[in-house]
Amino acid sequence: MDKENILKDIETIFRSVLNKDSISLAFDSSANDVEGWDSITHIMLVVEIEKKFKVRFKAREIQGWQTIGDIVNSLAK
Amino acid sequence: MLFNSVEFFVFLPLAFVLYWLLIPQKAVYQNIVILVASYFFYAWWDWRFLSLIIVSTVIDFVAGRYIHSSDKALRKKVFMWMSVATNLGILGFFKYFNFFIESWRDAWLLLGVEMDVNTLQIILPLGISFYTFQSMSYTLDIYNGKLKPSGSLLDFAAYVAFFPQLVAGPIERAGRLLPQISELKKFDYQQAVEGLRLILWGFFKKVVIADTLSIYTQTIFGDPEQFQGTVLLLGSFYFAIQIYTDFSGYSDIAIGTAKLFGVELMSNFKFPYFTRNISEYWKRWHISLTSWLNDYVYLPMAIRFRYWGRFGICLAIFLTFLISGLWHGAGWHFVVWGGIHGLLYIPLVYQRKVVSISGAQQDVTFRFVDILKMILTFTLVSFSLVFFRAQSMEAAFDYFYYMFTGPLIPTARLQPLIYMVAMLVLDFFFRKDERNIFSVFKHRWARYAVYLILFFAVLNAFSVEAEQQFIYFQF
Repeated sequence: MDKENILKDIETIFRSVLNKDSISLAFDSSANDVEGWDSITHIMLVVEIEKKFKVRFKAREIQGWQTIGDIVNSLAK
Repeated sequence: MLFNSVEFFVFLPLAFVLYWLLIPQKAVYQNIVILVASYFFYAWWDWRFLSLIIVSTVIDFVAGRYIHSSDKALRKKVFMWMSVATNLGILGFFKYFNFFIESWRDAWLLLGVEMDVNTLQIILPLGISFYTFQSMSYTLDIYNGKLKPSGSLLDFAAYVAFFPQLVAGPIERAGRLLPQISELKKFDYQQAVEGLRLILWGFFKKVVIADTLSIYTQTIFGDPEQFQGTVLLLGSFYFAIQIYTDFSGYSDIAIGTAKLFGVELMSNFKFPYFTRNISEYWKRWHISLTSWLNDYVYLPMAIRFRYWGRFGICLAIFLTFLISGLWHGAGWHFVVWGGIHGLLYIPLVYQRKVVSISGAQQDVTFRFVDILKMILTFTLVSFSLVFFRAQSMEAAFDYFYYMFTGPLIPTARLQPLIYMVAMLVLDFFFRKDERNIFSVFKHRWARYAVYLILFFAVLNAFSVEAEQQFIYFQF
């Protein structure tokens, strides 16, 4: 799957978990740019992303993420 | 060296002149001055404990390089744990095991240096909880792939020991502070003026508000049996304001001093008592520690508990706050203080509110409901701080016992109310921008008048009272 599509899917997950349809994500979006993306919703987002893409991330991988692009790269590997 | 000591008022101008005027303006010379000044600043308290900072610095510098350069996951892990074990070892050894302190004395005795055991048992290595956390975050960030190792031991040593924030924070991350240290610092008049303003304001909070309140809280907490229930209730509020002005005052002085050297530190407090729940409170209280605990304690746990739903999140938060309590001191009453805060999060997580331990602050509104919530949050925080302030669990329970059984009508100890209310009113008006609070005074002469009032208030308080240590120096 190409990165643009992954980004779209992640955006859908963000919109449903954070309960806000106006969210739009870019590769360089970080927690500072997305209202409601914080240390607690982050965990819920990770679980939903794993469910959708049927993967299990390593703990260290998750901790290294700083932007949406990092998440996309983890999934595109 | 204390910020509120005569030595510091000699040390600071000397370091300032040396830094900007007497050396060639190159990053490397500037950092030599920072390092030497910082080690001198620390050694003024006790030169022997400087060795701990140096050990922590060198180990983390080396570990950082090896974590980055090795391509095997296991090797990375080994060096990461080497760094963590060193820092937590240092911290555990000196903070949590009194017994080991005597071994330390014996070790130095072998080298012919005699130490006074009594003072050692009371005084911990100054700032140990702060610089170990700061230094350790560097290797952890490299391990998590967030950071590249520094190429210069000098820069890294200056980052760990930077004297404005060495002994009580803000706990800075390498990703933010190290690049600033590494590059050439340029003198900026505006930045220096902002720094001086923050220093003045910090001194006012510490010397005028906190130290005055401390006289009352010492009496009230020292013998709660003597006082009416309402006085004890007020006493817990007084302490809440005291610890806030004490520590945020210290942070302002630290941030202001760093500005004088062309370095921007992170904000540590953003008017925490104007918050509606515990999550908002922690985003504004001791921000540098909260975000540290968020990244290196809460997140690793929460990630591992992630399939347990909200329960896993609550558990991770609760454990994080227990650890936060222990960080503040080796006593059960500190752990209980932390535990109370952890428990207060549970309803928030289950209510599906946007909550977090650390992160961007929402703007606070002042509707009637919000004000009630603020009063409730302030009261809960003040009650939790009774455990923090009391010397033991027993003393805390005694305090609450007398608070709820003592007579209601207060007859004395109302004077500090003035300080408490004054502080909250000032914060209310200043809350727009914690780095530039005086901007509410639009006219230049109004600002000058305020500076003068603050200056003489500080001077006056200095002349009446002996210098008092900052509360957070003991952690």
